[in-house]
Amino acid sequence: MVKRIQWYLRIVKLSGLALLMLWTVTPVYIIVSNAFRQTLDIKKMPPALIFTPFFKHFERLFALDNFLRYFVNSIVISVSVTFVTIAFGTLAAYGLKLFRSRVGERLSNLLLLGKLVPAITVLLPMYIIMNRLRLTGTYFGPILAHAAMGIPFITWIMTCFIRDIPNELLESATVDGCSRMRAFFHIIFPMLTPAIASAVILIMQFSWNELLFSLQLTNIDTYPLTVGIARYVGAISVDWGKSSAAATITIVPIIIVGFFMQKYLVSGMTAGAVKG
Amino acid sequence: MRSSRRSTYALSMEKGDLLPTLLMAPAVALVFFVMVVPLSYGVFLSLFNFEFGAFDLRKAFVGLRHYITFLGDETALRAVANTLMFSAGAIAGDFVLGTLAATFIHSFSRSIARFIRPIVTVPLLVSPIVVGLIWRYIYDPQGILYWLMDQVGIPFEAFPGVTSASTALLSTIIAHWWQVVPFMIIVLTAGLVSIPVELYEAAHIDGAGPVTAFFRITLPMLKDVYMVILLISGVDTIKVFDIIFALTGGGPNNSTVSLSMYAYSQGFANSNLSYAMAISVVVMTLTFVIFGIPFIRQNRNRNDR
Repeated sequence: MVKRIQWYLRIVKLSGLALLMLWTVTPVYIIVSNAFRQTLDIKKMPPALIFTPFFKHFERLFALDNFLRYFVNSIVISVSVTFVTIAFGTLAAYGLKLFRSRVGERLSNLLLLGKLVPAITVLLPMYIIMNRLRLTGTYFGPILAHAAMGIPFITWIMTCFIRDIPNELLESATVDGCSRMRAFFHIIFPMLTPAIASAVILIMQFSWNELLFSLQLTNIDTYPLTVGIARYVGAISVDWGKSSAAATITIVPIIIVGFFMQKYLVSGMTAGAVKG
Repeated sequence: MRSSRRSTYALSMEKGDLLPTLLMAPAVALVFFVMVVPLSYGVFLSLFNFEFGAFDLRKAFVGLRHYITFLGDETALRAVANTLMFSAGAIAGDFVLGTLAATFIHSFSRSIARFIRPIVTVPLLVSPIVVGLIWRYIYDPQGILYWLMDQVGIPFEAFPGVTSASTALLSTIIAHWWQVVPFMIIVLTAGLVSIPVELYEAAHIDGAGPVTAFFRITLPMLKDVYMVILLISGVDTIKVFDIIFALTGGGPNNSTVSLSMYAYSQGFANSNLSYAMAISVVVMTLTFVIFGIPFIRQNRNRNDR
């Protein structure tokens, strides 16, 4: 009897889990499958589960709407942001580690205050400054903006990881006549590879997915994908075929990257919160 | 003891040791010139009537007039209310649903938890504007949600979604939950794993039920985790822009306009940059008062301990 109740309970729990997974995945499936449906079929209820894929929306995006360009722009922006942020953030975190006593540790949590700054508050004056410098429409706007918004957070994540490296290790390296910069490149940096992988996926997905800065600081030649989507989304109507295809082009690459770097994505998100 | 002190000294900032400062210089410089300088310039310009081209500082000075306008501007006050409601609803749901889902998943074996992890991380990687777009499709009056409701016999009026001012904000909050609750699940599951099992065993021997154990052990043990989550994810709710931009565009009847959206439309659609900056300064102040001050206080306590 008890066994049977346990068995029922297990079934109920597993179906609960299945529902949770279904709730998580269905919305993504909806938009990706719509990208392959004819415009009329997108609006047809109930949606056909089996249908012949239709590629015209993608053809139109690439042939008429310059989406290949947007795709390249997204890559240029997010890769540059990742390089700058990781380089500056890792060096700064090492700098904090080298500070006497616990000054660095005390300071490191305050880095999170950088998260408090709203994008719109930076964007409005930055738009004026960029205009004066004639830099709107170049890659500089979004790259600088994303890097500046990301650096405090990435530095904080890196200090959480660097904290685990024992001081003794650094000390023995310096005793051996290694300069502290050589110790960084030969000892710290190799030990930090997993941490850097975590930081890379976090900052890259932030930059890839960011909309607000790019919306005002780029132009038709430098639009990233998110702005490309925004241009299909009107206040009153949406071009569902094109926007679903554009959304698919935007989310599928980063979901694939995230899938392969999943371990690092999870450790990056949990490192600061759970250890810190 | 002595050796550990010496080891910190060997790494320490001796007099004239510039290396730590030099290492931090590039990051500090970039954040200073791209974030701090524009912020200060923005606060400064919010006291003027800024226009491109001819801009005479003395003539254009208006003092706090934009802030006074803000206090009498119905849409602006509506945006403040919307932003606070969105933030409160979003965070409350993230925490409650996230905690429930995390404890639920934690009750399964490790291998099941590992199996579902790639699925749970998917929404985190979806751009917020795409989240808005997806949910706009779901909430479409001729769309899938209402077809489903029709199948089970729930009338449209029971949940008019984004078409009615009464439920539009809730609809945007649900879209936000879809994206952020998975983040909570990931972080809280890691937090749950870090709690020693012995605590629960002891509680069980003392006759405490699972609910008591949850409130007496789990919640207090995860307090710091919740605080960090609040700061790395909760804060974003008060700056919400993308999801609403794609999902409702602020409508119907301004019932979903957030402060960031209002500042954006004032600045770029109405070319009223100075007023927009005043609004955005209000967003920043709100963020700081609601999240910054409690965080600084908590952080100080933690260092004193």
